Amino acid sequence: MWADTLIKLRGGGMRSNVAGTDQRKSPVLRRGTPEGHVLITFESVTKRYPGGTVAVDSLDLEVPGGQTMVLVGPSGCGKTTTLRMINRLIEPTSGRILLDGQDIMQSNPSTLRRGIGYVIQQSGLFPHRTIEDNIGTVPLLIGWGKGRARARARELMELVGLDESLASRYPYQLSGGQQQRVGVARALAADPPVLLMDEPFSAVDPIVRASLQDELLRLQAELHKTVVLVTHDVEEAIKVGDQVAIFRPGGKIAQLDTPERLLAAPADSYVENFLGFDRGIRRLSFLAASGLSLDDRSVVGEDTSASMAADTARQAGDDWVLVTDGGHQPRGWAAVSDLEVLPSGSRAGQARLEPYGHTFDVRTDSLRAALDATVLSPTGQAVGVDDDGQVVGVTSYELLRDAIHTVEDAEPAAASETAS
Amino acid sequence: MRFFSFAWNWIKQPQQWHGSEGIPVRILEQLYYTGLSLIIAALIAIPLGILIGHTGRGAVLVVNIANAWRAIPTLALLVLLTIWLGFSVLAWLTPLVVLGIPPILVNVYEGVAGVDPELRDAARGMGMTPWQQVRKVEVPVAMPLIVLGLRTGAIFVVATATIAAYIGLGGLGRYIIDGLAVNNYGEVAGGALFVVLLALAVQALFVGVRRAVVPKGLRQQGRTS
Amino acid sequence: MDWSAVPGLTWESAYLGIVPALIGLVVSLPLGIACARWRWLYGPVLSATSVLYALPSLALFIVLIPYTGLTDTTVIIPLTLFSLCVLVPAVVDGMRSVPDPVRQAATAMGFGTLRRLVQVELPVAVPIVIAGLRVAMVSSISLASVGQLIGVSSLGYLIVDGYQRDFPTEIYVGGGLLIALALVCDLLLVLLRRALTPWRPRRARREVPEVLIGQPAPAFPRGAA
Repeated sequence: MWADTLIKLRGGGMRSNVAGTDQRKSPVLRRGTPEGHVLITFESVTKRYPGGTVAVDSLDLEVPGGQTMVLVGPSGCGKTTTLRMINRLIEPTSGRILLDGQDIMQSNPSTLRRGIGYVIQQSGLFPHRTIEDNIGTVPLLIGWGKGRARARARELMELVGLDESLASRYPYQLSGGQQQRVGVARALAADPPVLLMDEPFSAVDPIVRASLQDELLRLQAELHKTVVLVTHDVEEAIKVGDQVAIFRPGGKIAQLDTPERLLAAPADSYVENFLGFDRGIRRLSFLAASGLSLDDRSVVGEDTSASMAADTARQAGDDWVLVTDGGHQPRGWAAVSDLEVLPSGSRAGQARLEPYGHTFDVRTDSLRAALDATVLSPTGQAVGVDDDGQVVGVTSYELLRDAIHTVEDAEPAAASETAS
Repeated sequence: MRFFSFAWNWIKQPQQWHGSEGIPVRILEQLYYTGLSLIIAALIAIPLGILIGHTGRGAVLVVNIANAWRAIPTLALLVLLTIWLGFSVLAWLTPLVVLGIPPILVNVYEGVAGVDPELRDAARGMGMTPWQQVRKVEVPVAMPLIVLGLRTGAIFVVATATIAAYIGLGGLGRYIIDGLAVNNYGEVAGGALFVVLLALAVQALFVGVRRAVVPKGLRQQGRTS
Repeated sequence: MDWSAVPGLTWESAYLGIVPALIGLVVSLPLGIACARWRWLYGPVLSATSVLYALPSLALFIVLIPYTGLTDTTVIIPLTLFSLCVLVPAVVDGMRSVPDPVRQAATAMGFGTLRRLVQVELPVAVPIVIAGLRVAMVSSISLASVGQLIGVSSLGYLIVDGYQRDFPTEIYVGGGLLIALALVCDLLLVLLRRALTPWRPRRARREVPEVLIGQPAPAFPRGAA
């Protein structure tokens, strides 16, 4: 489930207040807390074309270092233009762009670009060079020896998940997904602090796209590059972005915020429409399941006597009992009515068991995962487990509802930044 | 300019303009050889090109011809035919036609074969018979290349006709060959000058033909690719 | 038949055929790159080369005689000009065959214009440029034999001599060697292309209809379609 993957992957390296808090309150994972300084600044940047078209309109934007900023919007909204002004592929008509405090117009364009990684939709791999020479392009450009560049290329191939045997192949021999990975490796080769990505995953099929997005998240967790990524797919933006800027047609930002706050409190109807429906449920991805209260009264070991199990359940008012094995791993659900008709002296584990379905990890999964597991469960209850797979407790719709409302009560209407 | 002064000195001689060996006669002869050869070459190459382009069969042949025909040594062809057949119409006509066919064939083929497959589909879908498809869709769309083929063919035919004077043909090449034989550079230069002018005129003619014949909507087509 | 002269004549033919093609390439590279870069330039250049291409080789040889005499140069210059008609478009098409994402990626990685040209664009353009070079070379080899008529020796000598002495064998030898020479050069260029482009899939998609390389431009080329 992508939601599981999302939370699990984003768990590493993020500052979240999960550990050690009161489990009855669902804290919001603090994704997107600016760490470090602002690396790229747009000051009133405008791009006007000779025909009169204004692609970017007096844009002010701060890109925090070490995070992924996603620029998203419909076609023609100026997001790609904005991206390409950072490495001066497009020159602004007016305004300033600062990279690490320096006006980019002061630097020689070629020098500037060698310090910025750039990944595009069709990868743009040099057809006439091998994969490892493609990856080593910038290192060679800045003066590394061939041997060193190739060694670096192999390191990066491993990093992006490409088999070493592909090193001496040519681009035409690789699949689209593989080519894109090479493109990313190439952009990272000289270890630039900034990585620009222009619809990098749009040209591949959805399955490959999902795995590439996961790859990006994994890389970011390891490398903490400053990434600016352009996409037209709002789902992608929410999945990979630490900060998301939603553009309006005409080159202005409608809202700039963390994905979670966007979903919680869109600034206006344009943003709301752009985010699409299902906003409420999607937002649950950002809420930790750790805040859920879990019920462990109806969880019994398989060796417990069936009649005792049935009694416990009756007292709790439950119709089902979760039977666990010796290692406290879930085995299945036993109906209380079944337990009661078993011959006396039977163990709970001897009853007919319904499959327990999906579990969710109480430490790393989101409320959305817990909700989904609950919906899919044959008994309307989902099993929460810990890192080792041992049962912690079970949810129910009521418990979920409580957790969701707790969050909403605890948060004032989010005052999100809306860059105008 | 030395070339022009030589040529001019010879051209301005009034006797060059009279008689059966005068300049006007030679020009007409040249036009006759060129025109006849080109028409025959076109009559062979255009239908053949359309057929191969439309059906796709025999395309390999065209590609090979396209690559190979430039290697044919014109002079050898002319000379051999003269030896085999004596100096006759066939001796000069055959090489001219043979050298005129490939450019026309290749361009017509490419023009017809290169018609957008979707266009072809639409024509078939509308219920056109193959002949109708060819006449109403493929040929008009291929027109720019067909004209280009004729124009290229003309270049080669004019050039070959000039050289054919060596085996005894009339026309403007006559001045060149005869002049060279007696070391009269004026005559040689005069002949060459008219050949150049004729070649340019033929090209201009085809520019006009293109204008007249190519449907307006296709005028934008530039060079291949 | 004097066989001892044949190697020398073959060498002459090779020289007169290959040199114009190579000089043409040297001229066409900067010219073609400029035309690819500044599109407005391409139209006029193409028209100019087309006009030259239309002129019969014999006539051009003669025009040059007062200036360069009856030397190799007289033959080489016109053949070089002819080759431009093939090679400039080949260079332009070759440059255009570089996919835009590749160019963009190169710029974005910090390649300066010159470096990008040399390390990225030209290598990718090689297949198409070599295709043009093949046509240019084969044509030159064949046309150079016409130079025999103004006394510039090559394998054409065997043809002319064979004709004058009514000795067909000599003509066969001359013509045959010319064709063989052209084929050998063509083959060598194909091998060169294979060696230079290990990165191309064996069955490369045809980007430019190779059959059409070497045609003069349509009357008013409007750049890329």
